[in-house]
Amino acid sequence: MKIKYKTKKGLVERILLLEILKGLALTLRRMFSKSVTVQYPKEKKKLFPGFRGRHALIRDPASGTARCVACMRCATVCPSRCISIRYTKDENTGARKVTSYEIEALRCIYCGYCEEVCPVNAIVLTEEYEYSDYVREPFHFDMEGLLHNWDQFLAKNKIDPKTYINPFLRPRGASEGELPAGKRISVPSDWTFEGQVVWRDGRAVPAKEAVRL
Amino acid sequence: MELLWILVKILIVFGVVMLHVAYATYFERKVIGHMQVRMGPMRVGPHGLLQPIADGIKLFFKEDVIPTPADKQVFYAAPLICLISAVSSLAVIPFFEGFAIANINIGLLYIFALSSLASYGVVLSGWSSNSKYAFLGGLRSSAQVISYEIAMGLSLVGVMMMAGSLNLTDIVHAQMSSSFKIYLIPQFLGFFVFVVAMLAETNRTPFDLPEAETELVAGYFTEYSGMRFALFFLAEYIGMIIMSCIGVICFLGGWSGPFHVPGLPFFWFVIKVYLFIFFYYWVRATLPRYRYDQLMALGWKVLIPLALFNIVLTGTIKSISG
Repeated sequence: MKIKYKTKKGLVERILLLEILKGLALTLRRMFSKSVTVQYPKEKKKLFPGFRGRHALIRDPASGTARCVACMRCATVCPSRCISIRYTKDENTGARKVTSYEIEALRCIYCGYCEEVCPVNAIVLTEEYEYSDYVREPFHFDMEGLLHNWDQFLAKNKIDPKTYINPFLRPRGASEGELPAGKRISVPSDWTFEGQVVWRDGRAVPAKEAVRL
Repeated sequence: MELLWILVKILIVFGVVMLHVAYATYFERKVIGHMQVRMGPMRVGPHGLLQPIADGIKLFFKEDVIPTPADKQVFYAAPLICLISAVSSLAVIPFFEGFAIANINIGLLYIFALSSLASYGVVLSGWSSNSKYAFLGGLRSSAQVISYEIAMGLSLVGVMMMAGSLNLTDIVHAQMSSSFKIYLIPQFLGFFVFVVAMLAETNRTPFDLPEAETELVAGYFTEYSGMRFALFFLAEYIGMIIMSCIGVICFLGGWSGPFHVPGLPFFWFVIKVYLFIFFYYWVRATLPRYRYDQLMALGWKVLIPLALFNIVLTGTIKSISG
């Protein structure tokens, strides 16, 4: 490709410096437009569902503790290997019981695979993102810590755990048959395959078409 | 008694200009911020109104670092040369009818002389810092200021010819009695050359090569810190105000305006100066920096011939019309 350093300009353009005037007009127009700044601690941006923030283990209202069944899928799928789970096996029934569930949040890359793969919706990445600290210890979450994170998340955002749906708990557009029992939770109508919108080349495309293409 | 009145005038002008400099920095950041769809300073005080004061306090209490290889005496003197030559230019500016600290007959020449002196401060600071960035900044500044000084001087010759005087008050009076009321209309060529040269003289974008952040860290004042840096900053902003004042006096009719504002004789003068200052910010938010050879080409091949042509034109018209 040949780069043209000097574009041809007419005499009028040259004498009246039209390009500079155009630039000045643009900056002047922008001066009276609304600024895009979000004054962070004072105002906060609206987070969209599926924002991957601080980890939590969902507290099951029935048992009062985590739903985790120690299937080890999250620990297996984790690309950064930040999840470590220990469990005991019942001699007679073969049922597993979690003894420790730990997440090293400083190693986590927040990909969300763990919550996507979890068959019982035990682990979730909440929409909480303000948890910085000066030391490393608070970022090593054990089971109690993760359950505490969940309680804090609910209390802070005033969320009813019965209606809370995260796109990773019930993947959008997935049919009932594809999902394990724990993930078959009822969702609003815009959660369905038809209601979903995919962006391609800067244009909205219905998800159905996008898959076909 | 006369002396006391002069001292009072000096204090008033100095105080008012210093306040203007403080808030010129604030408005610069606000205007450029909004032009870039940001907000500018917002935290110190309501809408960041106390930001200049916070900046001043910070600069005042910062450590004064002097590099070991620096030439100490020159290093100390350079910011003072810049500031003193900028501030003393204020002496001849007539802010309104009969208010100039020194109403001398060579007002314009005096201002040219002092603005050339200011470039000594820049060159010396670049030399004495003993740092390559400061040195390059100083070199560029000397070349730039010398080239644009000529264009600027020539651009005002037309005004001098029309007014027949170098006295700034007389120039304003001559404009008021001329047929167009302002010299902007008959001297539009001179005004164009003046505006471009004015941007270059005060080292502002798009001619801010001496302090080009992307190449030279901060240019000639790279090694300065704390209050000494603030002196350069003050000199730059006072220089901007001086140049705006000259533009207003020579082309926009000084303190005269479409109607008289009772009680505020300086009203129109100040408004016009604010317009000029806004123009500085506006250009800064719009244009990228010129390359060094482009800067020189523009100065020598466009502005100086234009200014010379303007002189010839003005002289011809003046001699024909008598």
